[in-house]
Amino acid sequence: MERQIINKKKRVFSVEPNKIPPSEVFTRKYTSHLVPALKKLNMNKNSSQVNQLTVKHEVDMALALSAQEFAWSRFLLQKLSSSNNPTTATSSSSNGIRIQERSGKEGGGDEDGEIEEKLRELQKLLPGGEEMNVEEMLSEIGTYIKCLELQTIALKSMVQDTT
Amino acid sequence: MGGESNNEGEMGLNHGHDPSMPLYAKADPYFSSSDWDPVVNGGGFSSSPYPSVVMDNPGMSCFTHYQSGSGYPDMPASLLPFGDCGGGQFLGSEKNGESVGRLMRAGESHDQVSDDGVSPTRKRRQAEAESQRNKKAVEEFQEDPQRGSDQSQKRQKDGQSKETMNKESSQSEEAPKENYIHMRARRGQATNSHSLAERVRREKISERMRLLQELVPGCNKITGKAVMLDEIINYVQSLQQQVEFLSMKLATVNPEINIDMDRIIAKDLLQSRDRNTPTLGLNPFSGFQGTIPNISTTTNPQYNSLPQTALESELQSLYQMGFVSNPSTMSSFSPNNGRLKPEL
Repeated sequence: MERQIINKKKRVFSVEPNKIPPSEVFTRKYTSHLVPALKKLNMNKNSSQVNQLTVKHEVDMALALSAQEFAWSRFLLQKLSSSNNPTTATSSSSNGIRIQERSGKEGGGDEDGEIEEKLRELQKLLPGGEEMNVEEMLSEIGTYIKCLELQTIALKSMVQDTT
Repeated sequence: MGGESNNEGEMGLNHGHDPSMPLYAKADPYFSSSDWDPVVNGGGFSSSPYPSVVMDNPGMSCFTHYQSGSGYPDMPASLLPFGDCGGGQFLGSEKNGESVGRLMRAGESHDQVSDDGVSPTRKRRQAEAESQRNKKAVEEFQEDPQRGSDQSQKRQKDGQSKETMNKESSQSEEAPKENYIHMRARRGQATNSHSLAERVRREKISERMRLLQELVPGCNKITGKAVMLDEIINYVQSLQQQVEFLSMKLATVNPEINIDMDRIIAKDLLQSRDRNTPTLGLNPFSGFQGTIPNISTTTNPQYNSLPQTALESELQSLYQMGFVSNPSTMSSFSPNNGRLKPEL
């Protein structure tokens, strides 16, 4: 019975695909990826010493897997699978530092230069953003923001449930 | 092909006599969607605020070149950018969502047509000949179609999975599928091909930024690209930091994971209910209320069929971006009977 539940949990396509709101689909996918992964982590580690970085890795992986319609998720998957040792966890925290680097570079066309810089910064935030052109990146940022929001909600409720 | 080019030439020359006849009417057989006509006509000829297109011989010869180079399948593709230019430039005259929707449909229909017609990348300039005229000039640019067709294929497969996720495919199909951008130089502005390309690009960027403005909370009042970009950057950073923080927290409480799918979804819905406006604001700690009607905390996750009302607005506004969210369709949750019916 439980296996049926788990199997059904994974299937997120319905007969009428338009009826299910995409954010719900994403959330389902996300939790269905993340929860088993965390449980597995739990069982493997066999103690309460679950590594923070591996959890982050799983979190990112779940995000990438649940949003495969978007380009940034492919890049994220690449990043995660290539660097399978959990060194990627620090990337998001160091982003804040990296932002300040380029603020001194302004040539002619001041305002335009500023905007270009900011676009470049934005590109750095998005996984794979540097390989896209600007217009594409801007649309991808929108979906990325949305998925990040949903992810935060899901994570929050997970954390809240267990405390 | 010679006959075809002759026809084009005639139409080009006859523009003065027959302004109502669209230049691309000849290509109608290649177009399955008739939605293009308003865009093309509105952009090209009489009914728009812009004066009619002046196409002279160099323009005609360009058509000839174009056809001889790549064959018919490319012809419809060439008309796409005109529409896109219409979307970019004539946004004042029509709604954003409409133009995007039109482009999306036509783009989808084109994917089958222009799949095999990959023409080599080349840039064309009519700047010299047309800049002699003091009126508007039409220029043609050709972007990289190979990368475009690849992306468009990928995106079409992905975009077909869910209709409401068409925002991404529609907006990304605009850029890749253009083999030509038919730009119209505004009066008094430089008709240099570079600056026109630059302007097209900028308009696309500002269009996207407008959509992003609706997505990031608290950005309605901001005008100006730089500030807006700052806001977006900050928002993305804060979201990422939140995720990191939460995952750290999750790591510490990991052993007792007790996930309630319905609760997560319900909280999701609650959050979206809070954002009852076109701007979706994420209020991290305000969405959790105790009045969730279907809480069942058991060890094995239970699923129930959820009402599909509130979230439609939320992600529709994401994926279609040009559409205003629909706050009026929120209804109360259906009671939880603990059965497993997420989808049927």
